[in-house]
Amino acid sequence: MEGRGPARRRRASRLHPVRLVLLTLFCLLLSGTAGAAAYFFPVVVAGVGQTGQTVVVPPSNSPGVKATPTPLAAPGAPFTVLLLGSDDDGKNKSPLTQSMILVRVDPVSKHVTMESIPRDLWVPLSTGGSGKIDGAYAYGGAAAAIATVQRNFHVHIDEYAWVGLTGLVKLIDLLGGIDVVVTNPVLDDAYPDDINGGFLYGYKTVAVLPGAQHLDGAHALQYVRSRHNDINGDFGRSARQQEVLLAMKVKASTLNVADLPDIVSALSGKFKTSMGLDRVRSLLSVANAFDPANVKQIVLYAGLYTSYANGPAYGGQSVIIPHWSQILPVTSANFP
Amino acid sequence: MIARRIAALLFLPMMFAFGSGVYLYLGTLKSKVVKTPAKKPTATKPEHVLPGTMFVVQDGRLFKLNNGSFTEIGPAGDWSQPTLTPDHTHLVAVLRGSLSSDLYLLDLNGQVVKRLTKNDSRYVQLNHWAFYPRVSPDGSTLYYSYDGPKHVDAAPGDDLSIWSMPLNGSQYQGRRRTDPYWYTGGDASPIPLSATAFLFVQHSIDSSTAVHSQIRLQSRLGDLVGKPLTNLADDCSEPALSPDGTQLAMICTGGKQTARLEVAPFNGTSLGPARILIDGGLLASPAWSPDGQALAYFAPSGGAGHFELWWLAVPPVVVATPTPTATATPAHSPSSGGASSIVVPTLPPTPVPVQVTQGVDLSATSPPAWY
Repeated sequence: MEGRGPARRRRASRLHPVRLVLLTLFCLLLSGTAGAAAYFFPVVVAGVGQTGQTVVVPPSNSPGVKATPTPLAAPGAPFTVLLLGSDDDGKNKSPLTQSMILVRVDPVSKHVTMESIPRDLWVPLSTGGSGKIDGAYAYGGAAAAIATVQRNFHVHIDEYAWVGLTGLVKLIDLLGGIDVVVTNPVLDDAYPDDINGGFLYGYKTVAVLPGAQHLDGAHALQYVRSRHNDINGDFGRSARQQEVLLAMKVKASTLNVADLPDIVSALSGKFKTSMGLDRVRSLLSVANAFDPANVKQIVLYAGLYTSYANGPAYGGQSVIIPHWSQILPVTSANFP
Repeated sequence: MIARRIAALLFLPMMFAFGSGVYLYLGTLKSKVVKTPAKKPTATKPEHVLPGTMFVVQDGRLFKLNNGSFTEIGPAGDWSQPTLTPDHTHLVAVLRGSLSSDLYLLDLNGQVVKRLTKNDSRYVQLNHWAFYPRVSPDGSTLYYSYDGPKHVDAAPGDDLSIWSMPLNGSQYQGRRRTDPYWYTGGDASPIPLSATAFLFVQHSIDSSTAVHSQIRLQSRLGDLVGKPLTNLADDCSEPALSPDGTQLAMICTGGKQTARLEVAPFNGTSLGPARILIDGGLLASPAWSPDGQALAYFAPSGGAGHFELWWLAVPPVVVATPTPTATATPAHSPSSGGASSIVVPTLPPTPVPVQVTQGVDLSATSPPAWY
């Protein structure tokens, strides 16, 4: 017995080769997971803080519109996202949405439909009373914006995504810029000079020349934000916003999962969405299989769909009056 | 057999190294395409040697391309749209400031000879833009786009008109030559044909609220509208006239986010049937070679979206008797075409474009100046 004691201890202090291999594999797996977790930590933090935002949308009182939130559509089923873009430069505590675009994504057929909603559209707001539709987000956040669009457009919205202007600039720069065909010169003598410090209410002149070109984030923002010298007013700007979205989608198709931490840090605090990772994955799959022929763009131009108005009835503001008899058939046909 | 303590000592650094390796490896998987920084042209070697000398722009800097190598010229600043004087002794280029832009006469080494316009002001709305300088064939007149007069009584904004001024004179002698369609951004890209006639691109809107670009001919003083040379729906712009003045290259988009590079015969008053040299993709700023046998233009290469310089031989059109068995169909008929002197050509096969630069991201809105 005495003689076996040290031998047992010696044996116990040694590892069997099989155990050693298993232990080595386990340690590698553990350390590899830790390395990957550290790499994607910003994504996880953002995933918790910025994606999967819960919105409680008041029940709709419009026919054909389901109350939200709704159960997640089956994987691969089409879904509708309300894209919101805000002037988050600090002028308003609750920013207006300068850009509102309904986007329907069909992950299976890879078809995308976009319908821009004019920011000055005069509608009943879900928070009460009537006003420009860009105020819905300011008064009641994403839930109010969604409810207002649902009730007025008789469309069901599954998700929303909000991005601030500086977030858009950073995202486009992260993508290495975008390529667009500018159809006509975009000149503006009263472009807000509020992005890079300086006087918050200052303005400057900008000129984006026509033709195919590569735009960085700042110049892309000038292109989508300028509105004073566009013959189509805010409608022209909406069309430009859709062009830039498509250009971003083209560039995004070259990204991969390893780029996520950079994207998250670029959008830090400038992006919120109700979409979970499943939906984001669906969007990425559409982006990867992008074909411009599968994109339908709708802008509710003045004349047929809307008309201009102003006066005391609208708080002394210049507003856009919707022609629902024209808008609703188009919307319901494209956002069933 | 290895002692457990030794194994533990070995495992810790191994785990740290492997975990760090995974972290670093994931970093290497990032898309390299989109964030590829543009190289300075002088650090690159063009893959194709072009004849003559060409001036191009990258990120506000002027570059001379000669004998297969780039040389940076000119002072610092945000330069663009260089154009040659007819005697090829000087350049006129645009220098952008933060709120305005001005035209400068430069020598071929980029040294400023003379400031031609003064458009900056301490008051934001009194600043002006000047773009697209071009010198008339006799060297006497400078044509350009200028945002005057402003319509400050309506929504703040401005539109470009085509203006002309004596190259050796002053801006105060300038004369407005076109009346733009307001709130479309206005008129661009003048191509002087003589001291009084010129081509230009007008932007206008149709009944469906779509904005179009159209190449027009303005042939006499006092005519602020001119006559259309291309169909509105073709959305043609960025005209480039061949050195002998008989062919017009242009970019046509048809209202889409892709473009066609087209060439049409030009007899001084109208365009003949256009032929499509390239159909699809993003194409910009064609410029004719000094011998009129080829075109240079800009187009992106790869996923980075950098606009590179491309070269395309333009084989001459074989003029033949009109026949129903012509080898190719014209792209479209010009809106005012049908001049009796233009006959149906037999079209040669389109040559393959040759990429000249790689990874330099040249300014696509600054057509090459080539002689």
